[in-house]
Amino acid sequence: MTGEVLHSGRRGYAAPGLALKAGILAVLAILILAPLLKIAADTLLPATIGAWSEVVWGRLAPNLFWRPLGNTLILGVGVAAGCVILGGFLAWLVTMTDVPLRRGIGLMATLPFMIPSFATALAWGSLFRNDRVGGQIGFLQGLGLPVPDWLSWGLTPTLIVLVAHYYSLTFAVIAAALATVNSDLIEAAQLTGASRKRIFAGIVLPVVMPAIVAGGSLAFAGAASNFAAPALLGLPVRMQTLATRLYGMIEIGQTARGYVIAILLILISGFFLWLGNRVATGRRSYATITGKGGRPKRFTLGRARWPLFAVAMTVCVLTTIVPVVVLIASSLAPSSSALFSNWTTHYWAGLSTPSIAQGQAGILHNPAIVGGIGITVSVGLIVAVTVTVLGIAVAYTLARYGSGAISGAIHQLSFVPLLVPGIAFGAAYIALFGAPIGPLPALYGTIGLLVLAATAYLVPFAVQTGRAVIQQVSGELEESARLTGAGWLRRLIAVTAPLAVRGIAAGALIVFVKMVRDLSLVVLLFTPTTPLLSVLAYRYASEGFDQFAHAITVVILVLSIAATLIANKLQAKSQPWLKA
Amino acid sequence: MKSRLLMASIAIAALAGHGVLAQDLDKMTNAELLKAAQQEKTVTVYSFTSRISKVEPAFEAAYPGIDLIGNDMSSAEQITRLQAETKAGIVNADVVYIADVPVVVTELLEKGIIETYVPPRVADRLAPEFKSPLLAQRLSTKVLMYNEEAYPSGAPVKNLWELTTDAWKGKVIMVDPLQRGDYLDLMTEFVLRSKEMAASYEKQFGKPIALDEGIENAGQQFIVNLFKNDLVLVGSTDDVNAAVGKKGQSTPPIGFTSYSDRRDNEDEGWALQVANAVEPSNGIIFPAVIAIAKNAQHPAAARLAVDFLMGDDSNTGGAGYAPFYVAGDYATRTDIVSHPDAVPLADFKAWRIDPQATAKIRQDVGDLVLQLQ
Repeated sequence: MTGEVLHSGRRGYAAPGLALKAGILAVLAILILAPLLKIAADTLLPATIGAWSEVVWGRLAPNLFWRPLGNTLILGVGVAAGCVILGGFLAWLVTMTDVPLRRGIGLMATLPFMIPSFATALAWGSLFRNDRVGGQIGFLQGLGLPVPDWLSWGLTPTLIVLVAHYYSLTFAVIAAALATVNSDLIEAAQLTGASRKRIFAGIVLPVVMPAIVAGGSLAFAGAASNFAAPALLGLPVRMQTLATRLYGMIEIGQTARGYVIAILLILISGFFLWLGNRVATGRRSYATITGKGGRPKRFTLGRARWPLFAVAMTVCVLTTIVPVVVLIASSLAPSSSALFSNWTTHYWAGLSTPSIAQGQAGILHNPAIVGGIGITVSVGLIVAVTVTVLGIAVAYTLARYGSGAISGAIHQLSFVPLLVPGIAFGAAYIALFGAPIGPLPALYGTIGLLVLAATAYLVPFAVQTGRAVIQQVSGELEESARLTGAGWLRRLIAVTAPLAVRGIAAGALIVFVKMVRDLSLVVLLFTPTTPLLSVLAYRYASEGFDQFAHAITVVILVLSIAATLIANKLQAKSQPWLKA
Repeated sequence: MKSRLLMASIAIAALAGHGVLAQDLDKMTNAELLKAAQQEKTVTVYSFTSRISKVEPAFEAAYPGIDLIGNDMSSAEQITRLQAETKAGIVNADVVYIADVPVVVTELLEKGIIETYVPPRVADRLAPEFKSPLLAQRLSTKVLMYNEEAYPSGAPVKNLWELTTDAWKGKVIMVDPLQRGDYLDLMTEFVLRSKEMAASYEKQFGKPIALDEGIENAGQQFIVNLFKNDLVLVGSTDDVNAAVGKKGQSTPPIGFTSYSDRRDNEDEGWALQVANAVEPSNGIIFPAVIAIAKNAQHPAAARLAVDFLMGDDSNTGGAGYAPFYVAGDYATRTDIVSHPDAVPLADFKAWRIDPQATAKIRQDVGDLVLQLQ
């Protein structure tokens, strides 16, 4: 606070917002850096330091590190490219054109992110599985269509499943940015006879460039650290990524090797994100466009209107309705190979019968699952609040005091959790907070540990969505407020927050949904006292009780969609691109 | 500050109390345990098998007023969790029902996280090896299984080395040994039994085995050749079961899985059958053990639950053992008769693992598997 008083208003004075920046940095350091330093330290002990040479150049190195690294990079780059193209295309259609049913397309394009990637991967399996692993064949092969190995297993299906999952994230980020493109500028350009191409390249693209880069990096990081999809679709052809390798190492108790792989994954992804960050910050001069603007002027698509609509609808249906239908069908079908036959509600509401699923009662008769719903919702809500508050604080700080070493550190640090596979983050949290620290009791097995870990883990999402919007909120208003002597908190609440509320609401929404359907982070933090639905679903799936797993996943889906609807109601502007 | 002191003194009192109490409890009869257990009201079980959900209602019917909370998690996960809980100073589990004995002995028992309790009632009906270092409830398996619908005249494989030939290229399936400890134990057993593996190689191919460069024995060579023959790895035993057992296949794969999963044939539409007459062996048989968590919160109820899981005095073990009285699981108790549908234990060819020998080279075998993947 004293720093604020000292520089009293004028920009460019030494270290503006120093106290704020230092405070934010300290919080991020404790939440994010400390657990990671702890696992790094754990690889430097005399007993574990050998893990470094084993992973990087020993006889095991090709399989332990280099080949998984190759697959990870292919997935990261491929998914980022796919998501930017697909998400950007849909965002452009929905916000800038007169494509039919824009509202519906816009809503559907945000749905895939609510479907856990392991559910999408399982759905892919139910459809495209060939007889490589014998037995259970997918729906298509069941219809007599031969499915080649490359479409059933390995990189291609993993890539497709991950694009189908993450493109809605890039869509949301890019659409939010496109919605703020000043229509006056476009109209002026049209009046002066600029071509569509020119308007796109000269006005639209520069404005959304930070969002494209941000969305692309999110997709890259998400794909590079995703565990479920490569594990489910890659293992039968022995395709490993760094995330699955890391998980395998921790699973069999070789934590030192696991931590080394985690650290290398962080460093590599960090390099790519640093690269992306340079591109995004190079465009900062375009942030002069104000947050307000008239009703956006739409491009008329003419003859391309219906064909483009068909393309968009196909994408949306394939990534939302199809996996959901497969999920629901497989929560009702006794055999996953015959998805649409002999449906029963046993897996939902049946009582324990010895002949079905080893006597497991339907999920609505299972106290652990019913209790898990309450805990999952509570944790999701608490985390949505904590993450959003922290996310806004970070995004605000970066947008307003974006220069200097501390801001650079905050920016990098707030990105770090994206690069850490959730499972490693969970392991790091147990390593650090699992035992008592001085007078502080151990957090193991408490909701507190879940909230702390999830807050740290999800900060990048809140920061990125908040940032894309806040960057475009003009600094002038805030400047005026500052000149009238308003403190940073006041300015944040009275000026920046209202202008950025769309991004904030979208961010909180994504956080809640991400929390409710997260698996990799909580799978190690899970204890019987904190049963979370996603872990319960995963447990059922790994025990071979697919129907129960899918039924719980449907519950997760309902929660996510309910959250979206409530959020829409509370904040009608949360999806500005849907407005006429 | 005050509360910290208070907590510390409670902890010390509890520790001191347990030391005396545990010894007394170990000798108590069930009736005496029940009295104390009714005060405790609940008992939490960590179980590596989902069949705990069948034990729960049976236990609660036998001992009304005591709530059994079963938590189904893999052995590897239990080990991680119990270690974390110990570090955090929390004792959540009362009873630990687990496999992966090579790791359990070194990481849990020897580090004082769990302790052995042999219910006095059944102590005289167990061989010494099943009472120490840990109480074994039954023997479980990871053995070669085939599809009996596709091969009605018996197992299509007579020698493990056939799995490395072109006929079975891409047609052998199992769980990734780096994900499930029991499959790593299976790989380790091949290496420990290298002499037998070498003899079987000669039987199969009519010439002594020639080892690749850097390969030390026939067991390692078998693992190498198996992987080279496009071995299919999946994530869970049920994936193996479905792949191998699913009915209506003309050329189904063959795979390593649990013999006892044959019990699901009817419910799942499988035709799983064990390949027993295989040279030199069809896989491994290993103990599933039950232990008490050190400083368990419900020590009396925990002991009652262990006693219950060991089965009642009938020759099939009654309600407590019923979920495990299936073909393919072998009771350790001498007085529980072998399941009528199963190959009798004496005729079963699987190798009995030696947890200590396994523990010694397990990591090296894991590294070999890692190199091959």
